Amino acid sequence: MNGIHDLGGMDGIGPINPEQNEPVFHDDWEKRMFGMFISCFAGGHYNVDEFRHAIERMDPAHYLDTSYYEHWLSSLETLLTEKGVITQEELDERKKHIAMEDA
Amino acid sequence: MAHDHDHPHNKPLSDTELRVKALESILLEKELIDAEAIDLVVETYETKIGPRNGARVVAKAWTDADYKSRLLENATDAIAELGFSGVQGEDMLVVENTDDVHNIVVCTLCSCYPWPTLGLPPVWYKAAPYRAKVVKDPRGVLDEFGVALPEDTEIRVWDSNAELRYLVLPKRPDGTDDMSEEQLADIVTRDSMIGTGLVSAP
Amino acid sequence: MPTLTKEIVPGLVATGASCRIDEDVAPNFGIGDAVEIRNINPVTHTRLPRYVRGKKGTVERDHGVFAFPDTSAHGKGETPQHVYSVKFSFQELWGEDYADNMFLYIDMFDDYMRASS
Repeated sequence: MNGIHDLGGMDGIGPINPEQNEPVFHDDWEKRMFGMFISCFAGGHYNVDEFRHAIERMDPAHYLDTSYYEHWLSSLETLLTEKGVITQEELDERKKHIAMEDA
Repeated sequence: MAHDHDHPHNKPLSDTELRVKALESILLEKELIDAEAIDLVVETYETKIGPRNGARVVAKAWTDADYKSRLLENATDAIAELGFSGVQGEDMLVVENTDDVHNIVVCTLCSCYPWPTLGLPPVWYKAAPYRAKVVKDPRGVLDEFGVALPEDTEIRVWDSNAELRYLVLPKRPDGTDDMSEEQLADIVTRDSMIGTGLVSAP
Repeated sequence: MPTLTKEIVPGLVATGASCRIDEDVAPNFGIGDAVEIRNINPVTHTRLPRYVRGKKGTVERDHGVFAFPDTSAHGKGETPQHVYSVKFSFQELWGEDYADNMFLYIDMFDDYMRASS
């Protein structure tokens, strides 16, 4: 698809800004996300091409605005709900519950 | 729910954190993921798999001509000789920098990167600015990394858009003839194996 | 039971999952062939970026036979075919103002290419 992910040759996207002494993960949630991606892949819930395509289907503004592990989160949510492994209602409910516990 | 309260309680969880926690807790409940397996995956990529692996490959190629020809001929097998293989390095190609040629690697569509030799990619490699610019203005990108090459150096940009993963074999710097393979491995940087850096003598 | 347990992690990480397919598929192109990248614009998954569509290049290396992501992303099978390293000059990609010693190499599937005169 002619999506926002197809970036090669675009101008004016901004500086590269490499981070010095960058850690492997920047946040605990990135670690969990990475591990969940590997686990669900091993579980046979999707192939890498399906996973990539689900990233490509993200809202383009959101795609540019978020980090790579957030792309992964979005892809995993999309695929697991599309394939009926989990439902969006389950995710919403659980999110509310965790937010309440956290408050 | 072992990971629900491992953050300092001074700010509320972000929406992203909430979504990740919700997903993880549901998948744990359905017994589709194993928290200990995730811990081990994370630990593996934090401590065992990273650019030090690639640096060992480079240092060996610099000191062992037979190894270097095997590496350029069949990178996957030659890299596996040193014990590095697997996820996102299943099919490798090594491209060599010389006095006349400089190689740079990118994945314009995604963030493909040779995990067994370089570990997980840095944020800038996965982000839009590098992916957009390097296939059109590689010298401009090199300038952002503080690298200036002579005008007559041929530039080769490799877009790892499919299933091959690329590792740059950087040029061995002058004045390192007396260094051991181990010492050489210590001076090889991650960026030099992506092609956005050069190796300099200590 | 989750498929991925602690015991399986080291083996999985060290083995991975190659998309290479051990099947005898004839290549459509040979090393040195002049090729033109097809101008296709599918709304589905593809590994053919816009910036090489319609461009002319040269086959530099045959990587062997791989699954085709354009079909496998959509449950349409692996469609095994050859993947090649194809070389383009920056002048072809971006215009005559570019230096003649800059090149782009990208991996192209058989289905992305036609012979170029």
